[in-house]
Amino acid sequence: MLEIKNLHVEVENKQILSGINLNVKAGEMHAIMGLNGSGKSTLSNAITGRENYNVTKGDIIYKNQSLLDVEPNERALNGIFMSFQYPTVIPGVNNAYFLRAAVNAKKKYNGEKEYDAASFLKFVKTKLKEVDMDPKYLKRAVNEGFSGGEKKRNEMLQLLCLEPELAILDETDSGLDIDALKIIANGVNKYKNSSRSFLVITHYQRLLKYIEPDVVHVLIDGKIVKTGGKELALKLEEKGYGWLES
Amino acid sequence: MNTSDYQQEFDKIIARKYFDKTLEKTRKEAFSKFLNLGIPTKKWENWRHTDLSLINKQNFRISEKHDAPNRELNISDYDIKNCYTVVIKNGHYIKNDSSIPKGVKILTNLEYLKQNNWKQKSKKETPFDLLNTSFCDSGLSFIIEPNVKINNPIHILFIYSGNDNLFVNPQINIDISHSSSATFIEQYTAGQTSSFQNTSVFCCVKENATLNHIRIFSSADEAINISSLYTEQAEGSNYEYFQFVNSCVLHRSDIYGKLNGVNSSCSLSGLTLSKDKQHSATYINTDHAKPHCKSSQNFKSILNDMSSGVFNGRTVVQEDSQKTNSRQSNKNLLLSDKALMNSNPQLEIYADDVKCAHGSTTGALDKEALFYMQSRGINKEEASSLLIRGFASELINEVQHEETKKYLLNKFDHWLRYYN
Repeated sequence: MLEIKNLHVEVENKQILSGINLNVKAGEMHAIMGLNGSGKSTLSNAITGRENYNVTKGDIIYKNQSLLDVEPNERALNGIFMSFQYPTVIPGVNNAYFLRAAVNAKKKYNGEKEYDAASFLKFVKTKLKEVDMDPKYLKRAVNEGFSGGEKKRNEMLQLLCLEPELAILDETDSGLDIDALKIIANGVNKYKNSSRSFLVITHYQRLLKYIEPDVVHVLIDGKIVKTGGKELALKLEEKGYGWLES
Repeated sequence: MNTSDYQQEFDKIIARKYFDKTLEKTRKEAFSKFLNLGIPTKKWENWRHTDLSLINKQNFRISEKHDAPNRELNISDYDIKNCYTVVIKNGHYIKNDSSIPKGVKILTNLEYLKQNNWKQKSKKETPFDLLNTSFCDSGLSFIIEPNVKINNPIHILFIYSGNDNLFVNPQINIDISHSSSATFIEQYTAGQTSSFQNTSVFCCVKENATLNHIRIFSSADEAINISSLYTEQAEGSNYEYFQFVNSCVLHRSDIYGKLNGVNSSCSLSGLTLSKDKQHSATYINTDHAKPHCKSSQNFKSILNDMSSGVFNGRTVVQEDSQKTNSRQSNKNLLLSDKALMNSNPQLEIYADDVKCAHGSTTGALDKEALFYMQSRGINKEEASSLLIRGFASELINEVQHEETKKYLLNKFDHWLRYYN
């Protein structure tokens, strides 16, 4: 599904990633763990195509094609989704309207019939239940006045509506209390199947108690220094990152 | 227009037999003052961001009786549903196309003056106010009787058309008697020609009365629209104002709001959409002359191409006006590197127990928000449109009359299509 080869990324002329290799197969869940500033978010931004994240070397291959010259919206239409670490507030843009525009963009891309306002509302209501979200949040502007936890639920709601094949969860656990964390984890576990892959980016092992990764990678200074199974996450929880750094 | 052009047009006005001679002295005095001042230049503090050479370079003539059409008008383009309509074409009131509700008296300005013992409304003596006094050739006065609630808006439609560049100087008086409420929509619109509209509007809102006032500046792209708006409010009154500017090569609104009774409230807002080399300036002076009053100024501009704008909002709280509550906000969206906005919110406070806030932001489309939308599959053009629409609709959605809101959203979408 996703193959990253010797990826080097610069942000504002500063090298952040220096030769990442990663191979995520369909149905797999990979966790990327690392301290702040290790390059975790740069990796997710490079995959989703954010401006100013310049790939200077290497390649990102998704469904056997390079993503490097693909616009961010086309990456999304092709099944890539990122749950933002800090979801953006968009004043004046109604949440339901925004979500419908996104879902309809995908429907159009797939040659399917687009939702009108009424049929979309019906569709989204079933998804709201899965993330235990109050329908009143649909009427507000996107993420405006949302608490940290509500923003993350809203990200999960978008994920469930857009049905991506590759979902990147960027620090989804930060800012969540334990109940919200369980709801999110539950959503992820239900959503996961043999054709959908996850890349879970996290600082702590906390989230990984509830969603079990197949592979865990440790990122330090822009390089993957260790790869292992889920037991690696436990070891990091116990020992910290120090033992890997030398 | 140079001095002799103004003089030539003025002589025509004075020679008109059907104008009442009682006002001749007032006109002459005002015109002589205007000649002394001349059209403002950029050296004038209140005009330093506005280039008026467009007025100086062109020739305009006053509207004649024959400019009023005798054929039937097609006003469907400007039709807002569920409104009473008052049509003023090239400065002439077209009674046959107009309808007014019960409880509203329409007077000519002369009848209005007579009724008020010939007492002229006091204006600031800016060159354009003086021009309006000298050349005032049209307009109407509306009086809402006491204890009357008029639900549907009264839509005053100023239409300018023809092949000549017309110079029109209407004056509108709107008096809302005590405990009454009404909505007025003033719309300025013009066809292909350039026109110079110089308007004075006076709103008087009596005790416990409410006036909702919407002004739509949707003239042709070549039109020049300059106006002064004076409001005076009595105790417990409520004035709500919204201006929508989506064309005019040159637009300027001067708004003087006076809160002259306790517990009154004055809320001013506006949205300007500009493109090409258009210029739109709004100068406001809200005067808190009595305590326990509320005021707000909430203005937004969206500027494309090489267009420019000014927001100059001033709120004055006088010494005895304690417990004043006032807010000012000006937000501007620049869609082009060459667009320019001058934003200047000002507070002048002489009382000590007041709550006043002001803020101003000017910037391009939020890149983070654009990326967020793109990362959800929405293409960049649509994402931009959603953001721009979001920015504008916050104000348009405040319009209470549904049909007017729809009409304005439609006008906005039309403007936005040009951007894409």
